Amino acid sequence: MSRVLPWCEAMWGIIRRDAILFVSYRSQLVAQFLGPLFSIALFYYISHLLTAKSIHSPGGYFGFVIVGLVIIQIVTISMGVMPVTVRQELVSGTIERFLVSAHGPVNGILGTMLFPLLNALLSGLLMLALAAIVFGLPLAATAVLAVPVALLGTIAFMPFAFILVALVLAFKQASSASQFIVAGIAIVGGLYFPVTLLPDWIRWASDVQPFTPAADLMRHLLVNTTLVHPAVVELLKLVAFIAVLFPVGVMLLRASIRYGQRTGTVAEY
Amino acid sequence: MSSSSASAQDVDQVLAGGGDPVLELKGLHHRWKGPKPPVLDDVSLTLRAGQITWIGGRNGAGKTTLLRLAAGILLPQRGSVRLGPLTPASNGSAYRRQIGFLSAGDRGLQARMRVVQQLDYWGRLAYVPRVRRAELVADSVRRFGLEEFAARRVDRMSMGQRQRVRLAMAFLHEPRVLLLDEPRNSLDDDGYRILNEQIEQAAGRGACILWCSPRGEDRVIDGDVSYTLSDGRLERVQ
Repeated sequence: MSRVLPWCEAMWGIIRRDAILFVSYRSQLVAQFLGPLFSIALFYYISHLLTAKSIHSPGGYFGFVIVGLVIIQIVTISMGVMPVTVRQELVSGTIERFLVSAHGPVNGILGTMLFPLLNALLSGLLMLALAAIVFGLPLAATAVLAVPVALLGTIAFMPFAFILVALVLAFKQASSASQFIVAGIAIVGGLYFPVTLLPDWIRWASDVQPFTPAADLMRHLLVNTTLVHPAVVELLKLVAFIAVLFPVGVMLLRASIRYGQRTGTVAEY
Repeated sequence: MSSSSASAQDVDQVLAGGGDPVLELKGLHHRWKGPKPPVLDDVSLTLRAGQITWIGGRNGAGKTTLLRLAAGILLPQRGSVRLGPLTPASNGSAYRRQIGFLSAGDRGLQARMRVVQQLDYWGRLAYVPRVRRAELVADSVRRFGLEEFAARRVDRMSMGQRQRVRLAMAFLHEPRVLLLDEPRNSLDDDGYRILNEQIEQAAGRGACILWCSPRGEDRVIDGDVSYTLSDGRLERVQ
């Protein structure tokens, strides 16, 4: 029997499980709608106070920061929520299902990331729609092309989540590290302001992670900001980050599980 | 997706001969961190098709560790675990597909999922083919007396009812090896009878069953073979 179909069905089972759990807490749905609405409103009014000369976009700072907020949403979920989710799986013992299943722990943990990331992407789309409809953000005609770029960016961000989850599995906690990393990414990835404002000594950090090219490309496609490099170069950067970081992330995840299985700590919390 | 060097057909061949060794644990050694003696010290055990094996021993004797090693949750520090041509380290997915595992306690359930959702979810993780999944889920609900609770959320069930769900998950994918850690936990008389029947049926179709509990009176049915685990070593008592 081909393993592809059962693998896909198991992944869908995990997505469905997480969707059932998410919907069962009805207040989350309301919060997911209201949270972005308040964030957008906040930055909409802040943007009226700013004359951002370094941002060349028809939407001004508002358009610039909305894309940053969408990305920060995805980053927060992959890096902030994922380690906490996996830790909850450890505490509740549900991770044991992965450990004893044909699907296995690595695939199980990968599957656990899918619903939150899909949810983050949908939430990002909702934010953009609210920004456009309620606050009059002028979206570019190329906006629809931002969806595949967002997917690519999400895949590029996932290895960072794998590393944090590997730390959770090995050391049973990593939440403080993830908050620290998310805050750092927001600065060096240019999510709230252009990286050109950063001092030279730290500017290099914006070139060695996938958040900057993902943000630049999405802004270009969504709100027509000017790109420093051609779009194809930014795209290739993203693909290169995926090619290098994804296998490394999976390898570290696998190694942390193996370490726990040998020492006996894999099911500890 | 990890690849498997041994096929399901290889496993079938090994399992086809009734009474042949199915699961072989050889020279298992496990030591927890710290200056404590090993919890398992050169433990070997062979389970045969259709055989029911019981292991007793005081709390902390190492029964759960042994079951976790047999299930592939833990990997041996020394020694080997083998199911025909499969080992948990080298053929993890194919190995675990043949294993039904029930942990002690009441953990491992998705609290806010309904019973049938829970069973379907497990069927997917266990790679039960789509054409058989609905049938096996319905069958498990019936066999474990869960019809009344099938649409109920797990966090709204009693401990005994949850234990039935956990047992149904262990048996659902018709594993060749059943590893049960304190399976009687919280069961009422009816649940006790159902568990007895299911263990006998599984043994009848050629599965081997290994179950552990601290006391002999907790035994569900008289095992073909009984052991006690003490000071890291297995001793046959019957």
